[in-house]
Amino acid sequence: MNEIKIIAGHFLKITFRSRMLVTIYAVWLLLVVFAAFTGYSTYTTQNTLRTQLQQQARQSWEANPDKHPHRMAHFGSFAFRLKHPLSMFDYGMESYTGNAVFLEAHKQNTVNFSEAGFSTGLLRFGEISLSVLVQLLLPLVLFFLGFHTVARQKENGTLKIVLSQGTGLGAVIWGNSLGLFVLSVLFLLPVAVAAFVQMMLQQQLPADGFVITRGLWLLLVCMGYLWVVSTVAICVSASSTGSRAALLKLLGIWLLMAIVLPKTLQAVGSAVYPAPGKFEFETAVEEDMLKIGDSHNPKDAHFARLKDSVLKAHHADSIQQLPFNYGGFQMREGERLSAEVYNQHLKGLYNTYTRQNAISNYAAFINPFIGVKNISMALSGTDFTAYRHFQNHAEAYRYQLAQTMNELQMEHISNTAPAKDAKPLSIGKEHWTAFPDFRYTHQSVQAITQQQLPAVAAIVIWFLFSFAFIYFTAASAKVL
Amino acid sequence: MPVILEAVQLTKQYQEYTALRQLSLSIDTGEIFCLLGQNGAGKTTTINLFLGFLEASEGKALINGIEVRPNSNATRQHIAYIPEVVQLYGNLSGIENLDFFSRLAGFTYSKQELAAFLQKAGLQQEANSKRLAAYSKGMRQKVAIAIALAKNATVIFMDEPTSGLDPRATAEFTAICKELAAAGKTIFMATHDIFNAVNLGSRIGIMKQGSLVHTVHTSGISATELQQLYLETI
Repeated sequence: MNEIKIIAGHFLKITFRSRMLVTIYAVWLLLVVFAAFTGYSTYTTQNTLRTQLQQQARQSWEANPDKHPHRMAHFGSFAFRLKHPLSMFDYGMESYTGNAVFLEAHKQNTVNFSEAGFSTGLLRFGEISLSVLVQLLLPLVLFFLGFHTVARQKENGTLKIVLSQGTGLGAVIWGNSLGLFVLSVLFLLPVAVAAFVQMMLQQQLPADGFVITRGLWLLLVCMGYLWVVSTVAICVSASSTGSRAALLKLLGIWLLMAIVLPKTLQAVGSAVYPAPGKFEFETAVEEDMLKIGDSHNPKDAHFARLKDSVLKAHHADSIQQLPFNYGGFQMREGERLSAEVYNQHLKGLYNTYTRQNAISNYAAFINPFIGVKNISMALSGTDFTAYRHFQNHAEAYRYQLAQTMNELQMEHISNTAPAKDAKPLSIGKEHWTAFPDFRYTHQSVQAITQQQLPAVAAIVIWFLFSFAFIYFTAASAKVL
Repeated sequence: MPVILEAVQLTKQYQEYTALRQLSLSIDTGEIFCLLGQNGAGKTTTINLFLGFLEASEGKALINGIEVRPNSNATRQHIAYIPEVVQLYGNLSGIENLDFFSRLAGFTYSKQELAAFLQKAGLQQEANSKRLAAYSKGMRQKVAIAIALAKNATVIFMDEPTSGLDPRATAEFTAICKELAAAGKTIFMATHDIFNAVNLGSRIGIMKQGSLVHTVHTSGISATELQQLYLETI
């Protein structure tokens, strides 16, 4: 253990003496400041705007005069997706997923207005977020700082002198891995400080965001990942015949892990489990909707049968004899059926996406980058599941809005049409205020952990595997 | 004097190629044993087998009566190694390099003690705190000797240590080696330098194609005679 500490300290000492490190660290700090500022700026601007728009939508809703509730159901409202504070750290899919949806009766609109939709093609070149720095760029920096560690000593004969001092190759690998890991933590530190400052600059953090818990988990996962990266760098260096070979191998590993595998697996997922396009999906929903009938059409066969059965159940000859507004009842039934159809289709679509994502999720067992990326996006509330969580929330609110209006119609609107010159049938505007505003709540940490179990398990296995990797490298690597 | 190094039928085979063939050799404490031979004769292979960096195909290497494999961690407690080119860590000073290697060997010395080892190895005091990258080859050799001294190694393996040294540095190096032997250290040296071998060694071995062909005492042979024997052998 003492030898490991000596070697780790020695690694840091010689690395700190290197001018190259000063340059790399200076560039790193600039990138951290840039990424932190960009993340903060985007978050603040977007969340302020979305909060304002949500308030405007509410004011607009409440400002409606006395009206027929079904008109209010069609007047509808908006749901704006508020970003999680940790989205300042990891943008995830945020730029590509929509963040606002118009909620109205009978129709499930898509979530629109993604940032990508309003951006130039430059977004395709990728964004520099704090997570990209830690998860994508830092491994490359660590590979660059660690590739020569053992390999160069092997090349110039210093390793033989080190080992002839009575130190085992295992201690050399352990020590250098520990040294490189400590160095990685020094690179992680300004990122953690920047993220902390981002949070502190917020006037209020959402209580349901569990920012501290999520942040600590994120920090822990990133540290585990950086340990794995550090050990891979040193083990490859130790098992290579020279530093040049080690660098080439590590660059190959980085390219494979960070670019080739994620892109390939995404393509494999789409090919194995093809998902319908937007038009195809909407057409399929529309076709099934038509099968159940049109609640607005009094001559529709399904709803004609429904009317007969309702009249029969209430021993009535006409809808005027019913104790509730039949139009509202019919709309409520129509809404229920259309929502069922839509949700069934959406469930099928989500299942396809889940299968596609499962390929990527389980790929974390062969690629720790994918694992840490998935966990990071999930904890930052920027993954597909978080988007889906919002979409479900918005749909539940839309359904509640439509059905509340239908029930208000049933309760307060007469079945008898008003006289030609009489005031249209309506209810008091106080009902609009009584209907709750849309409020999005983030997922619980427990729910995220359950969703990310494969990725968490993969990172734990990679962490344990790193010890085995050191052991086997020490046992099999050639000193000469 | 007790035997400190022993090779018993030591053989190293790489598939079809035999790098070392049936080497049997005993070296006493305090002896300076020089191995001569062309490149590929098996000198470095012999050293690597004693250091435990290679596994013997047959036979065994012993240091202080302990078989090197599988006890290389134990046998390395007694040895030091000086390669042909000593690189160490260029951006650390001589004293920092010595401190690191001493601590690896389990010794913690004060700065004064480390400086004393470097001085004993022949390094001028003003060089102690300079970065090793600015050292000449001879100066770096001296740091390697200081590492051996600080470790209190009983056997020092040297692989062509005078190769590339200027005559003055070679003379200084030879003098230091003699001091070490006088202090009871055993030196096992692979070299191409016949004249230095006669001057420095107590015994000389001549290797050819993995076999030890001759072993001679330097007391009974002149440099010219050794050169003649060497040329006839190879």
